[in-house]
Amino acid sequence: MSIFQFSDTPNVHHQVQALVGAIRVDGTDVRVHKTSPGCFMATVDACTELLYAVAHGDVIHVHLKGRAWKIERVDPTRSTATAVAAGVGASLAPMPGVVVSLLVSSGQCVRLGDALLVIESMKMQMTIAASINGEVAELPLLVGQTFQRGDVLIRVQAPEPLDDAASLDVPARRKGSGT
Amino acid sequence: MTTIHKLFIANRAEIALRIVRTAQRLGIATVVPWHRQDRFGPARAEADQTVEVFGEPPLAAWLDIPGMVRTALESGCDAIHPGYGFLSENAHFARAVAQVGLTFVGPPASVIELMGDKITARRFAVENGVPVTPSADEADDPSTFAQRADALGFPLLIKGAAGGGGKGMQIVRHAEDVDQAITLARAESQRYFGDGRLFAERFVERPRHIEVQIFGDTHGHVIHLGERECSIQRRFQKLIEESPAPALPAGLRERICAAAVRLSSAAGYVNAGTVECIVAPDGEFFFLEMNTRLQVEHPVTEMVTGLDLVELQLRVAQGEALPMRQQDVRCSGHAIECRILAEDADAGFVPDTGKVLLLRTPTGPGVRFDCGVTEGAPVTSDFDSMLAKLIVHGADRALAIARMRGALADTVMLGVTINNNFLARVVNHPAFAGGEIDTGFLERHQAQLAAVNPSLAECQAILAAAASASPDMLATRIPEPHAAMGAWRN
Repeated sequence: MSIFQFSDTPNVHHQVQALVGAIRVDGTDVRVHKTSPGCFMATVDACTELLYAVAHGDVIHVHLKGRAWKIERVDPTRSTATAVAAGVGASLAPMPGVVVSLLVSSGQCVRLGDALLVIESMKMQMTIAASINGEVAELPLLVGQTFQRGDVLIRVQAPEPLDDAASLDVPARRKGSGT
Repeated sequence: MTTIHKLFIANRAEIALRIVRTAQRLGIATVVPWHRQDRFGPARAEADQTVEVFGEPPLAAWLDIPGMVRTALESGCDAIHPGYGFLSENAHFARAVAQVGLTFVGPPASVIELMGDKITARRFAVENGVPVTPSADEADDPSTFAQRADALGFPLLIKGAAGGGGKGMQIVRHAEDVDQAITLARAESQRYFGDGRLFAERFVERPRHIEVQIFGDTHGHVIHLGERECSIQRRFQKLIEESPAPALPAGLRERICAAAVRLSSAAGYVNAGTVECIVAPDGEFFFLEMNTRLQVEHPVTEMVTGLDLVELQLRVAQGEALPMRQQDVRCSGHAIECRILAEDADAGFVPDTGKVLLLRTPTGPGVRFDCGVTEGAPVTSDFDSMLAKLIVHGADRALAIARMRGALADTVMLGVTINNNFLARVVNHPAFAGGEIDTGFLERHQAQLAAVNPSLAECQAILAAAASASPDMLATRIPEPHAAMGAWRN
């Protein structure tokens, strides 16, 4: 028994079990016949579909009727809290690209929604805005530098809290997760 | 008259391959450059010779004028085809090619200078009685550019004087946004074209983008090969093109094509060129710009005219006269092109990167697939996001749409997100079938073009196929006779 999920709906888990000549998906048996490398005929009820599927790392790419899907196998022992690890106030690159312009400098005070930097990937420009009020604590890239998806583009540090609410902060939680 | 024996193709991906194929059919040997970051390009396998080029970023290799000319000379070529993009509209390049005694497959440098620059081309259009939209040129007086742009009225376009392909272009709807648009347009234009000069013009609401394919030879003939409708755009970049333009009144079509020929003749135009116009809902049309090269969307013209535009380009470059006159040009049926891009259309058209893990290309009557990638090719942000072009032809537009629908479903490219399903939703939209299109189409119908969720049975089929392709699943498969029996019993 394995748990699969569609990448675009990571909270919906599906139970998938390999049988002989069939795959049981959430209790329904789907007959699958591999016709050539990467090509499958799947029969659900009386309906047969032609699909293409190929695995790459943790992701399985599937094509059905002109549309592609990314399926992930859920490993319950692995944390997916990338954003949590990066911390509140950090802006992660949504795609690989290049820095077009920096609109703020290190140490500058910014407010929620302020434009911080402009990035571009292929032909699309995107403005990264502050997700919290605070001070620019980290600005690791220069104009013209490239980055990968998930890289930290900028980090805004919230003002020091006045009470002990900070004990619930992110690093502490991360330590507890054992990653 | 010169004879081209060996052709250097200063380009990459699908267009390099497309040029290689025609050249080889004409008995011309081909040389294609390649870069380490682009070593899976499909032209490499079919070209007669390949040469490694170097650059960081890789794009720089294709923008290096002395480098490209030297590589062509060293490989013994006598002509250079620039393709589209890169140096194809660079007059310095055309001049550098001519100076070392090579044939440039395109118009002479002087014509590129005149027509390739938006500002001089617009002035030339006005002189020749071709209408243009109200505009402001930064070069006239840089200190008052923002005010003059402001005075044109809104909405307003701010774009690079040397630009094209939607790069370096900003739309402004409010006066307070002018300054930021200028900053962004300048930065983008400087980076893509090495030229930060700007230009502002009034933006016509609900415009159609219609362009005319022009061909001229060195014997003074200029003809047109009909028009193309390129109104389905996102972020000013064409997504779907077709010929003929649907629901364009015959009289208007004739006036636009005649104006394009008049303008090109006056410019002494030689080789392939495209006159781009915007057409307002009331039928008024304005000259937009001229592209002094082969267009990405040239295959739709090829499909309806039965001509090979690259062959015509090579013949004209050799000094031959065009093999036909205007009255000999026949258009039959309808052709549509869809640009297959590495992007997630449902997430705001964000570009995607990855690796082409599995590739199955569509085939069938009237289907042409000009592909720029091969299986195993990494798709990076180093190059343009266009991976392939799907072109279909049918006896009429309805048949072309039906063929496009089938071919898009048959386009399998796994490992990177492509836009084929989004394109299918566009061509399936009733307003598209009705020919009710303008450049605002995608924005206007955004809600109806959204992806629909798969059915329960489809989800189960997808997950079952995923499991079947998952190496982990196969390793852990345990025969369960009783459970398996359940699947067959009924």
